[in-house]
Amino acid sequence: MNCSFFDSKPESKPDWKAYVLRELGQDAHRQAEAHLATCSICHEEVATLRLTLDALSTLREEEMPRRIAFVSDKVFEPRWWQRALNQTVRSPTFAAGVLVAAAILLHGFMRPGQAQVDAAVTQAVSQVEAQHMQEIRAMSEELDMRNKQVANLYRNVMLSQ
Amino acid sequence: MIFREVEDPDLIAKARRGDVEAYNLLVSRWEKRVFNYLLRLVSNREDALDVSQDVFLKAYQSLPKLDDPTRFSGWLFRIAHNEAFSMLRRRRPETELAGEPRPADLNPRLLPMELSMAVETALGRLSPDQREAVLLKVYQGFKFEEMAEILECPVSTVKSRLYTALDLLKTSLAPMHKETAR
Repeated sequence: MNCSFFDSKPESKPDWKAYVLRELGQDAHRQAEAHLATCSICHEEVATLRLTLDALSTLREEEMPRRIAFVSDKVFEPRWWQRALNQTVRSPTFAAGVLVAAAILLHGFMRPGQAQVDAAVTQAVSQVEAQHMQEIRAMSEELDMRNKQVANLYRNVMLSQ
Repeated sequence: MIFREVEDPDLIAKARRGDVEAYNLLVSRWEKRVFNYLLRLVSNREDALDVSQDVFLKAYQSLPKLDDPTRFSGWLFRIAHNEAFSMLRRRRPETELAGEPRPADLNPRLLPMELSMAVETALGRLSPDQREAVLLKVYQGFKFEEMAEILECPVSTVKSRLYTALDLLKTSLAPMHKETAR
């Protein structure tokens, strides 16, 4: 048996399945409810659909035989660098700390060792000493030369007398 | 301070950064629904459990590809749908030998009611496509548009499958209606 109201305009008949499944828009839903209140034929159609859905809802949800566990699975554990990266991204303070630590370490690697310092000092001292020795030798040679000149002058004076 | 449960998108963001516990929480929220959906599709508890495991593994690996975390449920069920049908395709010869689709081999102790068994049988008589449409709409509460995304087909196809299934179920369950109406 068909609803006489919609026999004349079947294109505007509400989609009763969409209605019971709550898929109609607000206006269409209101319009459908208004018609249901006055039409026993459509009311019965909707009632049958609701009974079907009610019957379907009696199907019990099954418990799982066992839970799906992931924590114990090593495949899902991030690698050490991923954890460090995540931690860095998550905390700016931690990131700043990492930067400072890296800078200290880098400085430690870049800084010359004590042996290098000692070698440099020894080299510098040697250079200064060598320079001083050269100056002393030059002065000594000049002194010798002047002494010789004085001696020559003295001998010439003595010979002229 | 108002207590607020951690939303799925927050858990997804954490899981994307490698937080396994966050993903574990997501799994615990969704595993039962996914398992039950798969159970009705593949009709076997162990298969449903195996496929569930695969679904959550694949989902974890594909999390970076999830464009909109607010649509996690539809995305997860699309993976479940693909995994289930992939398994069913691999086992097609067995299914064909088995003949008519049978209801899920559920623990009878958990289904004491006659109506529930009748529903189980009626669902088993539907085609896989029709049954899946009912599962997604009636049991998982997805909208037509979401179902179309999960099943990768037009909304009109979704409605056609679902409406045909409802008509068949209405007929199959009509005697039960009379019983319950008494």
